[in-house]
Amino acid sequence: MSRTQLLDADQAPITTQQYFADGDPGPIVAALATVPELLGPTLNFVGAALGPGSVSLRAKELAILRTSVLQGCRYCVHAHTAVALDVGLSTDEIRALRGDIALEDAFSELAERALIGWIDALAGATGPIPDDAWVAAREHWPEHALVELTVTVGATMFLNRLATGLDLPTSDEVASRLSVASLA
Amino acid sequence: MTASAVTEALESGELPGRVWIYSNYHCNLACSYCLTESSPRSERRELTAEQMLTIAIEAKALGFTGIGVTGGEPMLLPWLPETVAAMADHLPVILLTNGTLLGGDRFERAAPFAHRNVALQISLDSHLPDINDMARGPDNFDKVVAIVPRLIVSGIRVRIATTAGPLDSPTLDPLRELVRSLGVRDEDHIVRPIVRRGRADERDLGVHAIARDIPSELTIAADGAFWGSFGPTVRAGRLDTDLLLTRTILPLSIPASALLATVRGLPEGADASLGIR
Repeated sequence: MSRTQLLDADQAPITTQQYFADGDPGPIVAALATVPELLGPTLNFVGAALGPGSVSLRAKELAILRTSVLQGCRYCVHAHTAVALDVGLSTDEIRALRGDIALEDAFSELAERALIGWIDALAGATGPIPDDAWVAAREHWPEHALVELTVTVGATMFLNRLATGLDLPTSDEVASRLSVASLA
Repeated sequence: MTASAVTEALESGELPGRVWIYSNYHCNLACSYCLTESSPRSERRELTAEQMLTIAIEAKALGFTGIGVTGGEPMLLPWLPETVAAMADHLPVILLTNGTLLGGDRFERAAPFAHRNVALQISLDSHLPDINDMARGPDNFDKVVAIVPRLIVSGIRVRIATTAGPLDSPTLDPLRELVRSLGVRDEDHIVRPIVRRGRADERDLGVHAIARDIPSELTIAADGAFWGSFGPTVRAGRLDTDLLLTRTILPLSIPASALLATVRGLPEGADASLGIR
């Protein structure tokens, strides 16, 4: 169970009801709706940072899932394992991002391995980030793409702490999918 | 939405001019139809005197034209009379009170309201003591009919609010006569329906009301800012959030802007329709 109340459609604040119009909006929306003035701006930011942009959805989901693993966010790892499957990451690639098998065994493209290096430098440690991870990633990714992916990692870290802090529950639908894919 | 948009909306009448403030939630009574489940055991959830005065100052700056203070029972707050008097230096204030805490030696607590821009709105639901007291508690009728003339003689404007089932009930006629006999003008006797929220909903009382039935008056409580004075209701000990606008209450321009945005998102003409005041 969540540490905070997850609002349903009946208790959704008047300023947030559009998010509940199509049914259960998920625990992040249901939790944030308790502070309605934060919901819209947060979703706008998160949607821009994690949604379609100038880099592929595959690269974004790689960044989101890897960050969530490094941050130890159970809710986000579960949710974005399902999304990663949707955008075409293989089971082995997901297992590698989750630390179950070696990255080198799943990712053959140097560009993606360099990107993972940049993500690990950002989300896997605190304090200053050495130049080498940036330089290695820049050999394969344009600067604007790395800026965008850095925003994606930062937004994911925010969601990681939100979901972990509030102990948001994994949905039954996601849990079922992960079980079927042997990725629970 | 900007503060200037709120001001323009208030000037044009797009937004109602009154801001409601829930000073606290606890009460010395436990009325059967109470929207907030207020009672002596309720969680207090008080605003501070400083917050209330700031709301009045900022409300005036934005262009609001009046303040309503309700609860709970506001007079349970020791600092309330002086704070309301100070608020009335900025905007007219209607203070909703059950009037039962002003009897005897406590009458002097009403002194700050005399000859000020303050009206006390006191509830009286029937001309029959037993009927009134059934909903509002023992001896409520006697206390109210005793205190109202004293207040008026002391230079304090008094309004009487009657919360009734059918608004056209013939039993209201003798009540209107009684209210007149207490010295209250007809225009200061407000009759309003029970709204089916909070404890009234649990007890199957009153009329159903959705947002567009309730005047879009900005309402501030310790829990946040709400659409309408019937917004921050409580049932089964839990705050209703369906009419919550923002958790931020100050600066007042933040919830006022959220209210205006919400008003503009509703169908045209959506506003008061139940005569709820």
